Amino acid sequence: MDNDIAWQNELARRARIYEDIEAGHRFEGKMTAIDYAGMAALTLLLVVAFWIWGA
Amino acid sequence: MTDHVTHGGFAAAETERAEAERNRAAAERGDAPLLPSERLWGFWEFTYANSALAIATWAFLIGGSVGLFVGPKEGIAAIIIGNIVGVMLTALATTPISGRYGIEQFIALRSQFGYNGSRVVYVLAVVVLTMGWLAVLAMMFGRSIDGLTALSAGEAANPTGIKMIIAAVGAILVTWFIVAKGPTSIKFFNMIVSPALVILMIVMLYLILQHRSFSELLAMPALAPPFEDNTLNFIIAVEVNLAAGFSWWPYIGNLARLTKKERTAFWPNIVGIFGAAALGEIVGLLAAVALGDSDPTIWMTKIAGPVIGIIALLFVAFANMTSMANILYTSIVGLRQVGTASIRAISWGAILFLFCVIPLGLVVFYPQMYDGFFIFLVWTSALNSALAGIGIADYFFLRRQKLDVRSLHAPQENGPYRFWGGFNPIGLFALAVGFGVYVLVFNPQTLASLPIFKYLTASVPSCLAAGTVHYVLTRLFARGRGWGLYP
Repeated sequence: MDNDIAWQNELARRARIYEDIEAGHRFEGKMTAIDYAGMAALTLLLVVAFWIWGA
Repeated sequence: MTDHVTHGGFAAAETERAEAERNRAAAERGDAPLLPSERLWGFWEFTYANSALAIATWAFLIGGSVGLFVGPKEGIAAIIIGNIVGVMLTALATTPISGRYGIEQFIALRSQFGYNGSRVVYVLAVVVLTMGWLAVLAMMFGRSIDGLTALSAGEAANPTGIKMIIAAVGAILVTWFIVAKGPTSIKFFNMIVSPALVILMIVMLYLILQHRSFSELLAMPALAPPFEDNTLNFIIAVEVNLAAGFSWWPYIGNLARLTKKERTAFWPNIVGIFGAAALGEIVGLLAAVALGDSDPTIWMTKIAGPVIGIIALLFVAFANMTSMANILYTSIVGLRQVGTASIRAISWGAILFLFCVIPLGLVVFYPQMYDGFFIFLVWTSALNSALAGIGIADYFFLRRQKLDVRSLHAPQENGPYRFWGGFNPIGLFALAVGFGVYVLVFNPQTLASLPIFKYLTASVPSCLAAGTVHYVLTRLFARGRGWGLYP
């Protein structure tokens, strides 16, 4: 029982840390529009280039 | 008095340290979110870990299967196109969540399917997939051993004979024994096997290029094209690779939670998983087409001669066992996370053995599965592509990249992610729609397809359909019912 309460407290502590980070907009290395544009461009480039080359 | 107080202070500090260590270990097992300070991997560490997972013997098998449908030039194009799309969508659906919140993948999945629904998804996506792969890899081990003994005795190999079955059964039992001993032995094998597989690929590529020039290889035909329509054969090859890309869905989220940042959780998948898997598949494809057989246990002996062939087969045999140990361990750890109290009460060794019973049955009673293994792989994409679509729609478009970490880890029975008896009917319906669309567009068993398949493949429409259905129905019905804390 004590263990369970201690574990619930630990979960609450960890959740609180993430809530504070989120409230303060302090997530490090957050993906931005540049990342999403980069992944779309890379995918498109490889698909088109290899389609033209190989298909 | 002072000594007594100091002693007591040390003891308290020691207890606190031990408790912090216990909590961190529990978080690493997935019971709690990992804090940013507890994450282990930067960009290159994650890239290395990803590559180790991707560079496995199955890459040879998938590459060889591609060679059945198309020649090397089209095959390389299919490998790149299928893998980049599959890996990109899968990574997008799973890794930004884990990278941001340090959360276990199937706990995060409670927000999409409910706490019982995530169990259903686990059984479908992880258990079935892993059991199939265990059987296929065990048979590959058995075939390697059969090839080895035949090569040593100067006889012809019998890849479906009794020797193969005995060796495959032995491989599963030894894997069970290794995993029952714990994860340390698995890590040790990984450190040796992954770099050695890279060397093996380079040696094989060198030997292939000794037989034929690269331009000769590119001009070679497919081994067994099923249709006269080359475009259709090419799209099937793309579909096999999309399936390979989507097949990482059950595994990469839980690796990404060990990374320090969200961006670090995503991009290494493109370098590690896409790059390494594509390289291995291309070697498998070139070898298969150059030597006229898609089975790596056969082309390796043909290409390398008896001495290097024996070494390569021996190595591949044991590399398979490492792959088997990895996926078995990951699946059982996950099973204990999503399992009920009665499942968690089963001992580690017993639950591992129970998990191995079906793969053992497949090896003994259905060894033909090995030759049509790509059919099995493509079936898994019917599920994984839909899961990726739902994941992207839910996290990016419905929740706008915000999860309630507290509610996801709290007792679920009365929490916001209980949906309807622990199941989110919308998420599960969207999954069924995605699966249905896939099978309607392309039947992996018969290879029958609708005309649209030639333009869109089957995985992409399945992913889009599942994501759209999940988005629209959630907007229409979930928020009004207070399901799932949607904003």
